[in-house]
Amino acid sequence: MKIKYLNSNLMKSTKCLLAALFCLTLVTSCDNDDDTPAPVLEEEIITNVTLTFVNDANASDVVVMSNVAPDGQDGASTSQVTGAFTTGATYSLSLSLVNAEDPNAPEDVLNEDIIQEADEHFFAYAVSGINLTMTRDANDVAGPDGSKLGVNTTWVAGTASTGDVQIRLIHEPTTVDDSNEFGSVSGGSEDINITFEDVEIQ
Amino acid sequence: MKHFLWIVVLSIFSLAHSQNCTYTFIGEIVDFHDGTPMSGATVFNENNSSYTAADINGKFSIKNLCNGKLVLVISHIGCETKRIIVDIVGDSYKKIVMEHHAEELEEVAVTSKGITKTTVTAQESVIKSETLAQYSSLSLGDALKEVSGVSSINTGSTIVKPIINGLHSSRVLILNNGVRLQDQEWGIEHAPNIDINSANQISVIKGSGTLAYGGDAIGGVVVIKPTRSIRKDTLYGRTILGAQTNGRGYNITSTLNKNYKSGWFAQAQASFRKNGDFKAPEYYLTNTGSDSKGFSTRFGKHTFQSGFNVYYSYLNNEIGILGASHIGSIFDLRRAINSGEPSLVEAFSYDINPPKQDVTHHLAKLGYYKRFQNFGKVSLQYDYQNNRRLEFDVRIGDRRNIPAVDLELQTHTVLVDLNLDSNLKRKWNFGMMGRYQDNFANPDTGVRRLIPDYNKYDFGIYTTTEWKLQDNLVVDAGLRYDFNRIDAKKFYRKSRWEERGYDAEFSNLIIDETPTQFLTNPVFNYHNVSASIGSKFFLNDKSYVIGNYALASRPPNASELFSDGLHHSAARFELGDIRFNKEVSNRISGSFVHDTPRFNLEAEVFYNTINDFMYIRPVDDILTNRGPFPIWEYQQTDAELYGFNLSTAYNFTSSWQWQNKTAFVKGYDRVESLPLINMPPFNTFNQITYSNEAWNQFSVSLKSEWFFEQNEWPNFNYVVQNQLTDEELEIKISNPPPAYHLLHFYSEATFSFSEKTSLNVALGINNLLDTSYRNYLNQLRFFADDLGRNITLQLRFNY
Repeated sequence: MKIKYLNSNLMKSTKCLLAALFCLTLVTSCDNDDDTPAPVLEEEIITNVTLTFVNDANASDVVVMSNVAPDGQDGASTSQVTGAFTTGATYSLSLSLVNAEDPNAPEDVLNEDIIQEADEHFFAYAVSGINLTMTRDANDVAGPDGSKLGVNTTWVAGTASTGDVQIRLIHEPTTVDDSNEFGSVSGGSEDINITFEDVEIQ
Repeated sequence: MKHFLWIVVLSIFSLAHSQNCTYTFIGEIVDFHDGTPMSGATVFNENNSSYTAADINGKFSIKNLCNGKLVLVISHIGCETKRIIVDIVGDSYKKIVMEHHAEELEEVAVTSKGITKTTVTAQESVIKSETLAQYSSLSLGDALKEVSGVSSINTGSTIVKPIINGLHSSRVLILNNGVRLQDQEWGIEHAPNIDINSANQISVIKGSGTLAYGGDAIGGVVVIKPTRSIRKDTLYGRTILGAQTNGRGYNITSTLNKNYKSGWFAQAQASFRKNGDFKAPEYYLTNTGSDSKGFSTRFGKHTFQSGFNVYYSYLNNEIGILGASHIGSIFDLRRAINSGEPSLVEAFSYDINPPKQDVTHHLAKLGYYKRFQNFGKVSLQYDYQNNRRLEFDVRIGDRRNIPAVDLELQTHTVLVDLNLDSNLKRKWNFGMMGRYQDNFANPDTGVRRLIPDYNKYDFGIYTTTEWKLQDNLVVDAGLRYDFNRIDAKKFYRKSRWEERGYDAEFSNLIIDETPTQFLTNPVFNYHNVSASIGSKFFLNDKSYVIGNYALASRPPNASELFSDGLHHSAARFELGDIRFNKEVSNRISGSFVHDTPRFNLEAEVFYNTINDFMYIRPVDDILTNRGPFPIWEYQQTDAELYGFNLSTAYNFTSSWQWQNKTAFVKGYDRVESLPLINMPPFNTFNQITYSNEAWNQFSVSLKSEWFFEQNEWPNFNYVVQNQLTDEELEIKISNPPPAYHLLHFYSEATFSFSEKTSLNVALGINNLLDTSYRNYLNQLRFFADDLGRNITLQLRFNY
């Protein structure tokens, strides 16, 4: 008799525990709101890189190299070159790096991020097959370890030729060297590595 | 009122008869779980210090009793002695229930060495508490390598995931104190959230033989068990202090156990571990520091008939990832591979900077069981897990302190298990599992979600049975059905959605759109059937053979379904596929075990064929504004794996022992006729130990670890063009590093101060010769060498 009573008591507590468990599950499950997640617009991406070379002597002599990556680093990019350099002319390069993923609020990555942290960044350039030389301007932004960042540069077109122009943006390079003007680095990681092909000097 | 009357009546009754000592008490002693009479039980009458014994029907009688209390102590071989108090009111009868099979009913086979196994016919190896203590400053993945056939896949030296016979991540199920770990186990760089110091014993089960835990353990199951509560009034504890030269690490862990004879128990454990930058033989591995804090507590009451327990554990790991492994472009990766040394080497530091991970795991569990006479045991369990994963990437400006990945995974599980063991020769087990999981990807990261928000629902039902056909033959079998539903909300870039060809098949999944993205609501259901059958046959009292067949089925995980985008640390695009169906494994295995005090041999063979095996491989490349990148796509193929594991120990004398562990595994993609990626190479460990009990249990050992070069690997190297020079550059991401051989030294002694207090001092030197090497299964092998010499000192107090 006594044992039976004990058993039914335990059965009761078993039931209670079961009920409690299920209640707990329900309660905790219900805190999940079925809300639609908000879209994430990439903050750090660069969608449009534009190099605009303007002839110092003739403001209508312009070469534009542009690269568009609608998905930033997360997708394909296409490059385009308009105009051609003129033999013997000197050009000033103005750089533009923009995040236009949200077309209504484009973000100026160059001025707001990179120049703000110039000591952690470095632009390196390179050419191949084309007679272009460059210098980093006296008023260039100061880069890491006394270098010049490579935002304000002057380019001189030599004899007629066709080739490639490369721009790289290196984040946190270990060492940088701008003694050869184009610039070289070791270490760090490349945030930008774009090569514009078939650039012409006429 | 009624009660009062009864008491009055009874009092009068007993008073009236108090002087009359002529009554007889008849007792009947039966076995609790099957009701059989327990003949030969000894009955000690405390009232007059006399003995009697139960007859063949389990009955006994004591004559010439007075009314009042009769105290009896009943004992029987194999039973816990029982003291009962009987109220004698006239001639009395009482049925007395004894717990005859307590040991056999613990659902574990207790062997002579004090090892408890979880399974009967699976390939199971057990790592004991003393061995685990040696890994106090390391991780679960490191400790599991004690088992032949288990290696690890690493991201650096602190993110260590176990590989069981060539399979890892979602194919290896980890159980912590009866709770299936839900901690985003899909990624190689996601280490299991287990504090090794909270474990008392770990079982590694190869293959999916244990259906009670899940049907998708294609690789295997790791069962982590806490200390078993003992029914004794006792208080004991353990504190371990450790220091390591490499990384200038230090660790402390303490465990305190309190047990009561009544069955109540409580345990608390805490640990802390810290290290700075590790060092390869030739350079510091900058930003490889880590910081780990763990706490766990259990309490409850366990008796033979019923019990409950409450468990909570907390673990936080902050882990720095080798700074040199941060790459921006494929050219960075190439430079790293070709230069042979890390691009970033700084002086030693404890600082942990991005890239780093910060992962917090909470686990809470409530368990209850009740045993019913002539029937079996019912267990109920509820558990909740919260896994918060933050991954910090190298970012600029204010975003430096914002994680690039911020995921919170919450899981609720309810389990009901019915264990029918009233017939020890035919045990049955039935169970049901319900699980709800919610993954939340925080959009505040400013980085597109790698893993989308999802809700997941799982339901499982299983039965297993174990038949002892003869004294030397046991057969077991199991059947399980699982239903899984994943209900995700994921943004796809429109360009990707179309490129994947989803627009034709899945346009009905689109529920919203932005100018550049579709919001989709994929809901997928999977039905999985798993089964196993095995047998264990004792050839003699020293040897047995095991044969086992297991069918397992695993639905695709969130990463395999939904990955889309750039995986920075690997410099590749990774694309999942929502068209995937489950993968199905058929595994057969056999073992031979011979065990004598002098010689121990465990030999295992297996063959595992997996249909629709999900794996990732390069398919194409893409030109981004960081240069060209390869695209890796998850694909399904048919795979097969086979191999053997050997473990031997031979005692030359009582002091000198030699041990060997050897593992061999091969894996192939049968459709493409290619070897599978990330298969552990052939490896063999030899250890020679000298021990002398008389010298404070002194022992010293030298261990040799020999990893061969993986000679069969899929060539997924790719060629990118340097557009500036038009040079074709090969990126050698597939080539395995050369073979290597390491020597480790270990020595320990235990000083006893009293019966219960002792101090164990252990000195170890890992990588004794400071050998430079790289491990094929380390994801950071492209960037730096593995760890150099490490001298470790550990003090272990038992009290």
